[in-house]
Amino acid sequence: MRDTLRGLRAIAAAAPAVGMVTCGVGGSSLEIAPVDAEPPRLEAAAPIEGDALVARMVPGEIVAGFAAFLDGIQTSKPAAYVRSGVPLVHGTVAAVIRERTARTLATWHGAPVVERRLYAPADLVGAELVDHLGAAGLSLVDTLDGKADTGARHPQELLALARTAVQRAREQAEIKLAEAWCLSERRPLYIDGGISGSGAAAKSAYAVGVVKSHKTLYASSGAVTVVTSLPKGARTTAFEIRSPRRTTVASWYLRLRDATGREPLFGLVRVEIASSAFTVAHADLVSRWILAERAPLSLPDKRWSTMAYGIRDCEEYLRAIA
Amino acid sequence: MSILGRVVATERRPNTPHEFHFWTALDSPVGIGTIVRVEGLQPVNGHIPRVYGVVTEGFGYTDLESPLHDVLGHDGIPDDVAPTRRTEIRLYTAAVLRHVPEEPLQPVGMGTVFLASDEDVATALRMDSYLKAGAHTGIPVGLYRAGATKSPVYLDADFLVGPEAAHLNISGVSGLATKTSAVEWLLASIFAHFPAKKGRVAAVCFNVKGPDLCFLDQPASKLEDADLALYDELGVPSEPFRDVHYYAPYTARGYALNTLRSNEALEHNVHPLTWGLREVLQYAEVLLNKDDVDAKADALIDFITERVVNQDFTDPMLTGAHRVQSFGDLGRWFSELLRGMEGKNAESWRTHHVATIRKVRNRLTNISTRCRGLVTDDGTVSDLPFGQFADRAVYVVDVANLEEDAQDLIFARVVSQLREHLEKRTLGVEHVIVFVDELNKYAPSDGPDTYVRKMLLDIAERGRYLGLVLFAAQQFRSQVHRRVVGNSGTALFGRMDPDELATPGYATLAPATRTKLSTLEKGQLMVRHPHFAQPVFVRFPRPAVLSGREGVERFPQAEEPTLDAAITRSLRTLDRAVTLDWVQDTIALADEDEVLRARNRTLQAKPDDVRAYFRAQLKRRVQGETVPNRTRPALKTAPVDDPYGF
Repeated sequence: MRDTLRGLRAIAAAAPAVGMVTCGVGGSSLEIAPVDAEPPRLEAAAPIEGDALVARMVPGEIVAGFAAFLDGIQTSKPAAYVRSGVPLVHGTVAAVIRERTARTLATWHGAPVVERRLYAPADLVGAELVDHLGAAGLSLVDTLDGKADTGARHPQELLALARTAVQRAREQAEIKLAEAWCLSERRPLYIDGGISGSGAAAKSAYAVGVVKSHKTLYASSGAVTVVTSLPKGARTTAFEIRSPRRTTVASWYLRLRDATGREPLFGLVRVEIASSAFTVAHADLVSRWILAERAPLSLPDKRWSTMAYGIRDCEEYLRAIA
Repeated sequence: MSILGRVVATERRPNTPHEFHFWTALDSPVGIGTIVRVEGLQPVNGHIPRVYGVVTEGFGYTDLESPLHDVLGHDGIPDDVAPTRRTEIRLYTAAVLRHVPEEPLQPVGMGTVFLASDEDVATALRMDSYLKAGAHTGIPVGLYRAGATKSPVYLDADFLVGPEAAHLNISGVSGLATKTSAVEWLLASIFAHFPAKKGRVAAVCFNVKGPDLCFLDQPASKLEDADLALYDELGVPSEPFRDVHYYAPYTARGYALNTLRSNEALEHNVHPLTWGLREVLQYAEVLLNKDDVDAKADALIDFITERVVNQDFTDPMLTGAHRVQSFGDLGRWFSELLRGMEGKNAESWRTHHVATIRKVRNRLTNISTRCRGLVTDDGTVSDLPFGQFADRAVYVVDVANLEEDAQDLIFARVVSQLREHLEKRTLGVEHVIVFVDELNKYAPSDGPDTYVRKMLLDIAERGRYLGLVLFAAQQFRSQVHRRVVGNSGTALFGRMDPDELATPGYATLAPATRTKLSTLEKGQLMVRHPHFAQPVFVRFPRPAVLSGREGVERFPQAEEPTLDAAITRSLRTLDRAVTLDWVQDTIALADEDEVLRARNRTLQAKPDDVRAYFRAQLKRRVQGETVPNRTRPALKTAPVDDPYGF
């Protein structure tokens, strides 16, 4: 970020006509700014294991099966404002696979993906500034995706656009790594979040997505109780998630920890695997692998009840280097 | 050499010019006391800075915020193994030994950390300044070991034996033989490496307890291969001292020497240590209690020393001339003086009150009783060879079985004599190392200001200019006078008592260093030396001499002999032809005191004809003559026919 700011200040000094005012490094991250929350919702999904969503205890001995963990992080901060309050956002995205060997995690292939870019609506900041940024070696991502737009916009809307673009970049970084793994490895990979956005990973038998947030609960109104009252060590029967823009995946809910006396989604994850890889036995095996990752606890992370330690390790690693 | 770690600094734990932090892999060979080299990343004045440091503290922690989290993670079951190990760190703090270049002195910057090589150790400890070819004054003190590195650590002779700094102090708990072993090892190292151009060096060791130093000339029963390797690496021959002389007073009976080295097989270099009145009176202050001897008594003692002893003394109060040369003479002198005063009803003599005279008589004549075996009534002197000290020789004065007074007297006189001879350059060597154990007894930090303590302070503060070097040992350094330990340029620490380490004198050491000190193995030392910016840990080999414990087993102490046997053994050290029969015949008619006196005089004189000299010392006696019983004829016989004899 410091290098980017240095470049922007140089441009601001060299080309006062673009009317750019730079920010300090201490600005707050867009990730912690409030967003208009999408309302939680229920969505029915097609069962592929039986006719309806029911709970079943995961059978067999719990064993560790994942060879690696994948996660990514993002940070975005306003770096400058031009003209009528159009923000230039500095975004950093990073993703890493941490491979487990002899119980110790290390970076897979020795390197994570780290990208630092500026995010802004190209049309609104003006061609002159875009040229200056290019000349200074600062890469700009157009948050309008190349659409022409010269109309005035609310600055917060523009910030939200930038944040979304950064998030997309992070997802792309994760997908890139997940696909690289699936192409070269024949060992299970624990991916933080869903895999349906990635074509290759969503079709690979070695990618397992574990979703911790449940804004969309894949259950019909009659089956919600099955999910919310799932006991520790139990899973729901599997269902398929279909989306026009995403790859169809097999999914089920799994309760990692005892939720007695806690909110209903405590310790609850949703697992995604390739539809083609689904069998009941495989779903049980993957569930056992996930249950094995309950220790060590990923405390002090607030999401500890659903977060595997390997994912926390990815995040800590990326925070240290990115 | 591969990178061992990386320097880190945070706002909470910043680096300074004298301390830095670095992390390593979990399996790195770093430990407390390891010497490391930091290669800086950022040039300063065109030079990449190099920093040498010694690890003083270590930290290991994980990303756990609370131990409870681990308990929860394992459902309270300790043997439940998680599939992933928590992220763990080994973070070390190192004290800076040296910056290269030295200026500007800046906080240690970021850089890569390497295990110090042999060359690095020499640079880090500034040994390069005294290990130069042609100006090598290094005395090996031990081997520094870390990982694959094995580097000899040298002390600078100029700072160990003088004149730049001097003296050595060693601390350690009793019973591990660390203190005595270290001193024996270091003396051997000094004798092997002390540069000839710096002069000759000898050692005077006071054996203050048990048989510790009684077998320095005997080879060790067994040296392990590791010890032999250490000797080899440090360039010191693994052999006992070649030239050792033992000195011990007699026992109270006076037959045998009061030492545990009394086995006949080892008698050849054991000599008596006996002093007469003249020798003792110079150090009367050592034996006389200040509360007892006031200024008046002191004045009388001075008068006796200067005007009476060793000269013909006459006085109207005395019946005739006195020449006081021994305690016996002194007793007679006092008796006659007091008789004379009584006869003349005099209350004082030469301004000295009769009570003072009586008091001084009691105190002085009592010395020969208190120090029996050391102090002779007849004035016979058998002393260390002051003036003829040999290069690389060890003189052991065995005071282990003596009363405290006698120990103090011996210490005071021997050290004073060494000092006097060194001042005059007449000792025979230019440097003398005096080894004293139990220093907290002789130079305590509190208690009365004794003569011995004053003397030790004097050596500590001024001895290095004379070549008089103090090697002192004690269990509790904190209980030794600050000026004595403070003047010791070099300090060695063996395993320490944790209570001792809790005293303020050790506050400068990091907690981990203190912990290491309290758990040091036998054969390990922490060394402080003026050239070393920080203490370093070294290993030294087991001494190549027979330990006291093994020595008394192999050479059991001889039984207290009869007078005949004692005289025979003593004289046989001078003349192997002396036999028990000859001695029995020779001393048959002499009384015990006379025989012992004759023996002492013979040993002192070391004559060519031992038997003749010894016999001559015994009083001449007229041989008894048996007169035959003869029948004497009557002077006059009576006529047979004249019964009246007319």
